[in-house]
Amino acid sequence: MTGLEEKTQGLKIEEVGRELRVPSGTRVVKQGDPPHHFYVIVSGKLKVYRETHDGIRTDLTELGPGDYFGEVALVTGMARTASVEAVEDSVLIQVSKEEFDAVLDQNPQLARKLIHTLATWLVDGDRRLEQETVHQVKLRQISWFDYLLMVGLSVILALVFNLYNDNSIPLVHGWGEKDGVQEISPDQALELYRQQKAVFVDARKNNFYDQRHIKGAENLPLLFFDLQFPMFQFILQQKQVGPDTPIIVYGGSSSRRFDRELARRLMEKDFSRVLVLAGNPDGWEKIFPVETRPGKAVAAMPLGLPGYIEWIPVSIFLLFLLPPVRRSPYLSAFCRVVLGVIFVQFALSKIMRPAVFALNVVDYGLMPEWGVNLWSLILPWAELVSGLFLVLGIRTRAAATIIGAMNLIFIVGLVNAIFLELPINCGCVGEAGEPVTWWKVLKNAGMLLMAVQIFLYDRLFVLDRGGFIWRERKI
Amino acid sequence: MIQRPLLLITAMAVILGILTAGCGESRDPYVGTYRSLQPYAGKGHIELTLKENGEATWKLEGEKPVKFKWKVAEGHLWLYTREGGIIHVTPSEGNKKLSVDMTGEWNPSCPAHMCLYFERVEVR
Repeated sequence: MTGLEEKTQGLKIEEVGRELRVPSGTRVVKQGDPPHHFYVIVSGKLKVYRETHDGIRTDLTELGPGDYFGEVALVTGMARTASVEAVEDSVLIQVSKEEFDAVLDQNPQLARKLIHTLATWLVDGDRRLEQETVHQVKLRQISWFDYLLMVGLSVILALVFNLYNDNSIPLVHGWGEKDGVQEISPDQALELYRQQKAVFVDARKNNFYDQRHIKGAENLPLLFFDLQFPMFQFILQQKQVGPDTPIIVYGGSSSRRFDRELARRLMEKDFSRVLVLAGNPDGWEKIFPVETRPGKAVAAMPLGLPGYIEWIPVSIFLLFLLPPVRRSPYLSAFCRVVLGVIFVQFALSKIMRPAVFALNVVDYGLMPEWGVNLWSLILPWAELVSGLFLVLGIRTRAAATIIGAMNLIFIVGLVNAIFLELPINCGCVGEAGEPVTWWKVLKNAGMLLMAVQIFLYDRLFVLDRGGFIWRERKI
Repeated sequence: MIQRPLLLITAMAVILGILTAGCGESRDPYVGTYRSLQPYAGKGHIELTLKENGEATWKLEGEKPVKFKWKVAEGHLWLYTREGGIIHVTPSEGNKKLSVDMTGEWNPSCPAHMCLYFERVEVR
């Protein structure tokens, strides 16, 4: 006796049903529809699945010849609990609700079998529910280990890479160096300035000098000392500055003492009376007459592809206005790829030449001197690691947290620079030609939103505790 | 289910690929020696030598040579000083001439008061 004959023995199928031929891809039963029929499969293959309102589909099982479906809704009288779709051309016996009830009344053996099947499903369902709940709980868990993993990996990669990088920088700038530079108090310096008995030298970058400097001061940026020193020497000769004339250097900041370093370099060039202006690094602005030239912003260089990708985090604001979309796990997956790619781009623009990025950090003036190089070495690797983790779907909630934290820091830095009108390069995705603007703030705010969305709703294409989760999974 | 070692190997390959891809455009068309059109700082001419290996020297007559690293991006040359400063250089006339922007910032065109002009004197 075949399975089909056994299962349909009491049904008297030839008396109550009618044959139904369904081509592959036909949806025989739709989840949520009212129940009208019961089906027995004569030949072919069908799959049973459930779908949530936001489109997440879960395959429940596949049915073949001898199997039947549609009985749950008929017995309970409730709407269809799942959809059934033909995977290949199939032949079914379609039994109406009235016929089904009549057959059950006449066939207690079949009724018992149905009860047994439904009870087994309930027990299996409970087990599956428990497994899924445990899996989801594990998926939502984030531990200190996740953060330790990412930060530790970034630190190790940064330090090892710095060892072998041609453009390596010391971990702490100027650590342990004795400059032997003498200081001069602002009052004494002002006295010499009034008597025109000293040369004042601004050690900062040209654009900072252009914006505001002590009236009459020369600019010798430390960064281009070797190139511009001959011109500086030439200018001193033209001004007939004597060898004993004091040279007073200013222009340091809490992030880098350009003034002290420049003074040391000048002393190495046999200038005998080099002094550094003491006190608050910005104090000269209040004491000395200054020349200002406002309004010169950093020129913008075309960024190419990264420039176009910048639009995505900004346009993401529009998507978040739509409630069904902003909670979608598909949006999370999209955000992960976009954010991951952007952060990998950020990282690549900085990793090879940490000294350049360190100067960008110095320009913001928010990092203490001891932390500038460490930050400049580790941050790009943290961007790369967390960006790759997002794209690959590893520890995505922790990666999103780290990226969100970085966005917050960037936003603070950018807003501070805008309010102080600092003539600096953003240092975001380019080494130069990237002015600090509200556009950059908006972009970072968009990325922060994306990170929050990932943190809250990401659950697809994720490699996490319990395996890799794809869109359609069998439970 | 994707195996974790496979994923980690893929990730490492991606990192290596990304790092090696970030080496910039070919330097070959710009390799050679360039001489400043005007004397600099009342001393003499500057000789700028760009080598294939990404190293460069800036030699002002009577002074010690200064070493750089250099790369090519979007048809412009970027010279990196030891301290991390960037000098932007724009080639013209089939790479025979260079405009060197001494401001240390990127400008759409080289500012006249801070621009040095060089001419190619030797091709390698």
